[in-house]
Amino acid sequence: MRFIADLHIHSKYSRATSKDMSPESIWRWAQLKGITVIGTGDFTHPKWFKELNEKLGSSGNGLFKLKDEFKSDNVPASCKADVSFLLSAEISCIYGKNGKTRKIHSIIFVPDFTDAAKINLALSKIGNLTADGRPILGLDAKELLKITMDASPDAMLVPAHAWTPHFSVFGAASGFDSLEECYEELTPYIYAIETGLSSDPAMNRRLSALDRITLISNSDAHSPAKIGRESNIFDTEISYKAMIDALKTGKGFTGTIEFFPEEGKYHYDGHRLCEVSLSPKETIKHNGLCPVCGKKVTIGVMHRVEKLADREEGFKLKGAPSFHSIIPLPEIIAETLKVGVNSKAVDNVYQSMLYKFGNEFKILMDVPLNDIEKAGSPLLREAISRMREGRVHIAPGYDGEYGKIKIFEAVERKEIKGQETLF
Amino acid sequence: MTQIFHDLNESQRQAVTTTEGPVLVVAGPGTGKTLTIVRRIAYLIQQGAKQENILAVTFTNRAAREMKGRVNALLGSGADKIFIGTFHLLGLKIIRDNLTDEFILYNRDEQTKLVKALFKDSGMNARQAADRISRIKSFTEDSYDPSESPLVEGGIINPPLKKGLGSRCREALQREAGGFSEQIKRVYGLYQSALAKNSAFDFDDLILKPIEMFGNADSCHFETLKRVQGDIADNDNALLKKYRERFKYIIVDEYQDINPAQYRLLRLLAGSDGRICAVGDPDQAIYSFRGADVEHFLNFTKDFGGARTITLTDNYRSTGVILNASGAMIKNNLKRIDKELRPAGESGSPLNIISAPDDKAEGRIIVSEIEKRIGGTSHFKLINKKAADEFSGQSYRFSDFAVIFRTNAQARAIEEAFIESGIPYQVIGKGNSIQKKELEETVSYLRSILKPENPPIPPFAKGGLTANEEKLLTAADFYDPKAEAVTLMTMHTAKGLEFKVVFIAGVEDGLIPFTLNKEDVDIEEERRLFYVGMTRAKDELFLIHARNRFIYGQRLSPSPSTFLGELPDQFVQNRVIADKIRSREKDRQIGLF
Repeated sequence: MRFIADLHIHSKYSRATSKDMSPESIWRWAQLKGITVIGTGDFTHPKWFKELNEKLGSSGNGLFKLKDEFKSDNVPASCKADVSFLLSAEISCIYGKNGKTRKIHSIIFVPDFTDAAKINLALSKIGNLTADGRPILGLDAKELLKITMDASPDAMLVPAHAWTPHFSVFGAASGFDSLEECYEELTPYIYAIETGLSSDPAMNRRLSALDRITLISNSDAHSPAKIGRESNIFDTEISYKAMIDALKTGKGFTGTIEFFPEEGKYHYDGHRLCEVSLSPKETIKHNGLCPVCGKKVTIGVMHRVEKLADREEGFKLKGAPSFHSIIPLPEIIAETLKVGVNSKAVDNVYQSMLYKFGNEFKILMDVPLNDIEKAGSPLLREAISRMREGRVHIAPGYDGEYGKIKIFEAVERKEIKGQETLF
Repeated sequence: MTQIFHDLNESQRQAVTTTEGPVLVVAGPGTGKTLTIVRRIAYLIQQGAKQENILAVTFTNRAAREMKGRVNALLGSGADKIFIGTFHLLGLKIIRDNLTDEFILYNRDEQTKLVKALFKDSGMNARQAADRISRIKSFTEDSYDPSESPLVEGGIINPPLKKGLGSRCREALQREAGGFSEQIKRVYGLYQSALAKNSAFDFDDLILKPIEMFGNADSCHFETLKRVQGDIADNDNALLKKYRERFKYIIVDEYQDINPAQYRLLRLLAGSDGRICAVGDPDQAIYSFRGADVEHFLNFTKDFGGARTITLTDNYRSTGVILNASGAMIKNNLKRIDKELRPAGESGSPLNIISAPDDKAEGRIIVSEIEKRIGGTSHFKLINKKAADEFSGQSYRFSDFAVIFRTNAQARAIEEAFIESGIPYQVIGKGNSIQKKELEETVSYLRSILKPENPPIPPFAKGGLTANEEKLLTAADFYDPKAEAVTLMTMHTAKGLEFKVVFIAGVEDGLIPFTLNKEDVDIEEERRLFYVGMTRAKDELFLIHARNRFIYGQRLSPSPSTFLGELPDQFVQNRVIADKIRSREKDRQIGLF
C-alpha cells in the first residue's frame, strides 16, 4: 500500500515548539496534511513519554493509534483517515572528537514503549532528559548509536538533517567529512540519512559514498501546520518492521516529498546580519569572508555538498527513488493573494480547499488542475501547475534565513488575472 | 629507565629517586603531583622493589583510579599487587585479611539510622550525634574531657539555642548539663555494642580497627580513645611487624588532609625507619571540618627525623595570571610553607571579576559565557557572530567548563540557568540537585514500565567490587565517563580536578569566607578553599559576585568577598552587569520556526 510518513517532529516539550503539539492535535493535522504514519517525536522526554503511553494504543505492528476517547470530530470528512504513530525521538550530541567541537543531531525509531524506556534509562545516566524534548547530551554520536543498538535490536538511528551547518553529521561548522569519521566501525549500521530542508536527493547523490544510503525527508515540525512539509512515500504494509526494512533495503521506499532546497534556511552561504547571500562560487571569490563586514560567512549546504561531492551536478543514480518538490499550500495561496502566509485570508482559502478536495498532499500533487481552478482561481491553478513542473523562482535561503519563493513576476500576475476577468 | 624520567623536571626527578628515608614533597597545584607519584612507583619497581612492598594511599577513589590507570600504562603489565587506594580501602583490606568473621559496612546514612533507632526518645539530633561519634572514633576530638567539648557547641543534644529550642530538648539539656561526659560515654557504648551485635563496622572503624589490631587502641573502651599517644613507632605488635615488612615503601597523597586516625595508622605502618613519602600542599588543606589537620603536614619533618623536603614549583596547568593572582592571595595565610610557583605556559588573559545583579543573573552569565565558547547549542541561540569569531580558533567541549561554589545551597540557582539552557551539567557531591530528583523519578517510572519482562538493572556498573567495597563509592564515582557535561560542584569536591574555564560563583562575604550560619570562621582555611577553587582553572577564570542573593531562606545584599581585594589589580578586569541582563539576553534569540 502506498502511504506517506513524516518521521521527525517535536512535541510541546521541545524548545521553541508550539503548545499545540499534543497527540490529539498531531493526529488531526496528520489527516489534514495526508500523513498516514507520523513520528511521535521526543519519546526521551519523561512527560511526553507518559502522555504517549497513556493516549496511544498499540496496533500490534510496532505502530500506535490515538485512543478513541482522545479523538475530536473537527476533521473535515474529506480528510478523515487512519493515522498511525511511530515512536521517535531526536538527540543533540555536543562533544569533542579529533580536536573539534562536534554537534550532531540524530533521530531514533523504536517499535515499542519498552525499547523506548530502555534507551531512556541508558540516556538518563548520560544527561538531563527533562530540560528539552530534544535533549542535549555531551555524548559521542557513535556512542549514541551503540547505546541505541544495545537497548534494542529493532531500533534504528538516522542522522538528522545531515547537511545543516551547525548541527549535523556533514555540517560545515561542526560535522564530519564522512560517515566513517563519525561512526567508525559502526558505520554499516547507518542505513539512512535525513536530507533536511536545504538539500534534496539530487544533491546527495553527488556523493558516491551515499549510494547505499536511503535518503529520507521529514518535517522536523515545531508546530502542527508544519507537519509533513517534507515527507516519505512508502509502498509497503503499514507496520514498523516493513517500514524499517524499506529504509534498510530501499525496497518499498518509493521516494520523498521535498522542499525546493533553495527554500531551506541554509541552502546558500551568507551572513545574515549583513543580509549578504552568496553562492558557493562567490564565497570562494571572497575567501569565505563577508564582503560587507569582513567576518566569516556561514557556509551553506550547497557549498558543503560541492566540497564533499565526487560527482558532477546533474548526476542521476540508477534505481534511486524519485522525489517531488513542493511548496506548502498556504505559501502558494499567500503568493496568489499577495498577503502574509499567516493571514486569515490564506487560512480561509486553505480550509475551504481542504474541505472540498481532501488533504493538502492530494491538492499539491494529485487533484486535477481544472478542478483547482474551478474551486479556487486561475492564479492558484497556475501556481500549482508551475510548482508541479518545478517552474518557480526562489531567492535561496542562507545563514538561518529561509529562501523567498516567487512563483509569479508582477507582469505575469496581471496577465493571468486579466484572463480571469475575460471569462 | 628513559620512560621513567621522560619529561620530568629536576625537582620531580628528585622526588622520584629519593627513596631512602622519609621525604616530604610539597606539590602546589598543577605541579605534576600524580605524574611524580606514578613515576616514583615505577622507579621503585625498577630498583627491585616488589609490587606488594608498595603502598600508595590516595584521598579519593577517583584519584586511586587515575593513579592505577597510569601506573598500569607505564609498567605495561598488570600492577595488581601494588596497593593503590584510599585509607578506607586499605583499612578494609587489613581487616578482611586478618579477621575471619563476616561483617557488613554501614555508610553514613546507615550509621545515622542506627543512632536514630537507639536514641529515638532522647530528643537527640541523630546526624549531629553520629558526627560526634565519628569525631571521637577518628581521634579528632578528645573523648574524656568535657571542658574541651562544650555542650552547646556542636554537642550531642540538639543545640541551636538561637533558633528556638524545643522544650523537651531544653529539659534534656538541663538534665545533662554537668554530666556531659557521662552521657556521651553512654551513647558511645550503646552505639558500639549495637554495631557489634549487627556485625557491622562504620567508616571510622576501617581506620580504627586496624589501629586496634596493631595494639594501639581499644574501641570498646571509651577512655582509651585519646588523641594524644606516646611514641607509637616503638610498637612491637606481631601483626604490625608483618605489615611493616610488607609495606616497605609508603606514598601518601594529599597528606595535608589526613585526620588524626589516619595519621596514627600511618605512623604505625611507617615505623621508626620511616620509608614514607608524603605528598601534598598545605595551601590546599581544606578538610579541617572532617578533623583533618594541616599541622600534620607542617610537622612532618619533626615527626620523621632526617626527612628531606622537596618542593615542586613548575606549574603546568594555569596561566601566569591565574598563578600569580592566586599566589598573591594565599600569601596572606600564616600557616603554610612559603613557595613560589612558576608558570610553564603563557601569562594569559586577566581574571574576570563580574558583578551580577542577583544569583539568577549569575547563572545566566555563566551559561552565556559557555554558549559563546561552544558556539550555540541550538538553532535558536545560534547567531552570536561576535562570540563565534572571538572563539573560532578554539575548540571547547562541555567537560572543559566547571562552576565552583562554596556551599551546595548555591547550586539551585545555577542549576536553574542550566536547565533553562538545556546545556548538560552534573552536580557532583551530595545535596539534592534538581537533576537528581528528576532523575530518580524518571528512572523509577521507566523501571515500572520495564518490570514485567526485565530483571532489575543495577543503577551503575560497579565491576567486580565486593558489597563492602561498593559502599566506599561516593556520588562522584557514579558518573558515566562517556558523558561530557559542565561540572557543578563545591570547592571541596573540586580538589584535584582541572578545567579550561572555571567560574567561581558567589564570591561574596558571607559565602567566601563562609560566615552564614556559622560563628567560628577559620579564615585561613576559607582562603585555602578559594585558592583551591582558583587554581582549578587552566586558561580562564571568572570570579562572580551577586549584589542580591536568595539563600537559606533569606534575601541578602552581600558585598564582594574581601579575598577579591587581595588579588593584585594588574591581574584582574572588572565588569559590572546592569540590572537588565534578562532582556538583553533574550534579544539574542532568533524567532521560532
